[in-house]
Amino acid sequence: MTKLRNVAIVGFAQLPIVARDEHRMSSEMLYPAVREALAQVGVERDAIDYQISASTDYMDGRPFGFVSALDVMGSWPPRQDLHLEMDGTFAAYYAWIRMQADECDTAIVCGHGKTSEGEPDRVLGLQLDPYYQAALGLDATSTAALQASAYMARTGATDADLAAIAARNRSAGTKNPDAQVREAASAAGLQMSPWAVEPLRRGYVPPIGESATCLVLAAEGKAEKLCDKPVWIHGVDHRTEMQTLGARDLSRSASARFAAGKACAMAGIAGASAVDLAELHATNPAAELILCEALGLDPKAAKPAINPSGGAICGDPIMSTGLIRLGEVFRQLSGRAKDRAVAGAKKAIAHGTQGHALQHNIVWVLGSERRWS
Amino acid sequence: MKRPVAVVGVGQTHHAARRADLSIPGLVREAVDRALADAGLEHDDIDAVVIGKAPDMLEGVAQPEQFLAGAVGAHMKPMLRVHTAGSVGASTAITACTHVASGLYDRVLTIAYEKQSEGNAMWALSPNMPFTTPLVAGAGGFFAPYCRAYIAKTGAPPHIGPMTAVCARENAARNEYAHLREPMTIEDVMNSPVLWEPIRYLETCPSSDGAIAMVIASGDLAKQGPRKPAWVKSAASYAEAMWVPGRDQVSPRAGKVAAKHVYDRAGITDPWNQIQTAEIYVPFAWFEAMWLENLGFAEVGEGWKKIDRGEQRFGAHLPINPSGGVLCTNPIGASGMLRLGEAALQVMGRAGAHQVEGVKNALGHAYGGGAQYFAMWIVSTEL
Repeated sequence: MTKLRNVAIVGFAQLPIVARDEHRMSSEMLYPAVREALAQVGVERDAIDYQISASTDYMDGRPFGFVSALDVMGSWPPRQDLHLEMDGTFAAYYAWIRMQADECDTAIVCGHGKTSEGEPDRVLGLQLDPYYQAALGLDATSTAALQASAYMARTGATDADLAAIAARNRSAGTKNPDAQVREAASAAGLQMSPWAVEPLRRGYVPPIGESATCLVLAAEGKAEKLCDKPVWIHGVDHRTEMQTLGARDLSRSASARFAAGKACAMAGIAGASAVDLAELHATNPAAELILCEALGLDPKAAKPAINPSGGAICGDPIMSTGLIRLGEVFRQLSGRAKDRAVAGAKKAIAHGTQGHALQHNIVWVLGSERRWS
Repeated sequence: MKRPVAVVGVGQTHHAARRADLSIPGLVREAVDRALADAGLEHDDIDAVVIGKAPDMLEGVAQPEQFLAGAVGAHMKPMLRVHTAGSVGASTAITACTHVASGLYDRVLTIAYEKQSEGNAMWALSPNMPFTTPLVAGAGGFFAPYCRAYIAKTGAPPHIGPMTAVCARENAARNEYAHLREPMTIEDVMNSPVLWEPIRYLETCPSSDGAIAMVIASGDLAKQGPRKPAWVKSAASYAEAMWVPGRDQVSPRAGKVAAKHVYDRAGITDPWNQIQTAEIYVPFAWFEAMWLENLGFAEVGEGWKKIDRGEQRFGAHLPINPSGGVLCTNPIGASGMLRLGEAALQVMGRAGAHQVEGVKNALGHAYGGGAQYFAMWIVSTEL
């Protein structure tokens, strides 16, 4: 195993998730996030080595949506740069890889997208293979419902179990000023909501929401200067699966399980249950239950606390949702989580996903202390 | 880079206006199979996959790497999808290099493709954006003013663009994979219709179906063969903002900065004499003269003169685009990686009929956006 550098999250800014920011374009939303993140670490853009953004053209409804982000990320003079057509959490992964390759010491990682400008379910439906699956008219809620059905059929989980998970997230979301859905809801109340697509009820899935995010990463030596409490990356791994729904056991997430095993091994912990809290990128309760099973977490236990932010059910700004999980862990482990702080938290999991029915999963293990001496 | 990195396998498709014989996964798989065979490897030998393509609207599938994951052998592996406009093929390969340089991955498969026959590139590249005058004229409409500005600044005579286009076709005739291989004359080019003044039809890149894949490996594994590797001496991706007052779009600063970055790290102080061939991203003929200057092969205002004297032709001092380049083959997302892959083949000594003699160092280059994104590498016969 190659010797790894200690790398930390040193700043994170996010716009509160809203249904529709009527007065700003995507890049106009991103600009204040970049400025706030730089203000947190107390430097100007020239002090940052690398930039990487995450967005998707189809959500922007035009080609090259990411090009406009260059102007608000401070790309003058020219910067070393990359853009991934993926959630920001994967962009953070590549920034971390660059630091492991000694190519940079500091980076900003941006996620953006005007989810409200299109119909996300239809846009996400276009991710499916154009020959067999997209032609069925499947959208992302439908494939999530197929997955939920598969999970319920295998495990015997009931509608009430899903409602309980949703209600826990909703309760936590009341304490998160950046969440879009901030009203608590009882499990019984959520069970009264109509089907989005059976067995997923409207109360179990997030509304359309948008935000913009900027995370700052720094390697040891720089991190301590930029932040009084850097949150260190202890381990990370990501894995994808083939998309074809019929070729996977949708009731399980093989890639999340595999990635979690690798990330925990890198972090030197026995398993994900050894941490104090976990932020899971689950946009419905069945996905959360599948992820808990894959990671070896008990969704009903007090520790690790799952989704103290309210999770993706309380706000799903596509392309930023996974990056927000990392940002939330930064806030938790650096004493910035305010009302939603998990007392005494020192280690945490941040999970991100992409694609239909949890196709591609990334698992981060982070801690308030350095991983390697 | 933290440790040496090399190209150990290159595979590309036969490029054409329409590969109706293949689906999108089939097209990508043709390149992947050839790259793995070239490297003498199997999918099990690959630790991660980095894939790139240009706008998803070109084929009508959003984030298509997700549905391609099975076809490229990425199941249960890490996979990243890069998109940096026209430069994406190059920045994708560089992203793969970083993975290997980090020490976390020993062999990474990198892929770039476009199957433009699935859609309409002119439509997909003619966005109607808020607060901006819609050109509705594709990439040519966008870049023609840059060419006019170059001509106005340097006084380049009108035959330079046509000469460049004819030279590219001569080169493509030697490349069995190229899309447009039919010879043509300067008169043919001059007589073809002007699409976007000064760019004529025959000075314009085609719309192609094609893919390329490479295997990037650690230095230790590269030395084990089976083939002579192409050592990646240096690589960089830079981008600059669009709305900078006084920004020089003809010779963008990001291109100069990226070139300096890769030259410095490869120990190149005199690119015209230390580099033996270059594959550079020339979608419209005039850009060859422009990039010769931006990349430091020629002084400002002198790039067109090198073309006029034929110093960049096959067999001359520094052959540019011996493969025929983007003017003859343009699956947009793959075009950048084709430049890097062709540069690698040249230093591996396996470019076939378009092999340049005595190549030690080669440059692979791509650009994109509004001439804002630049990605390039220097590959060499020596570590």
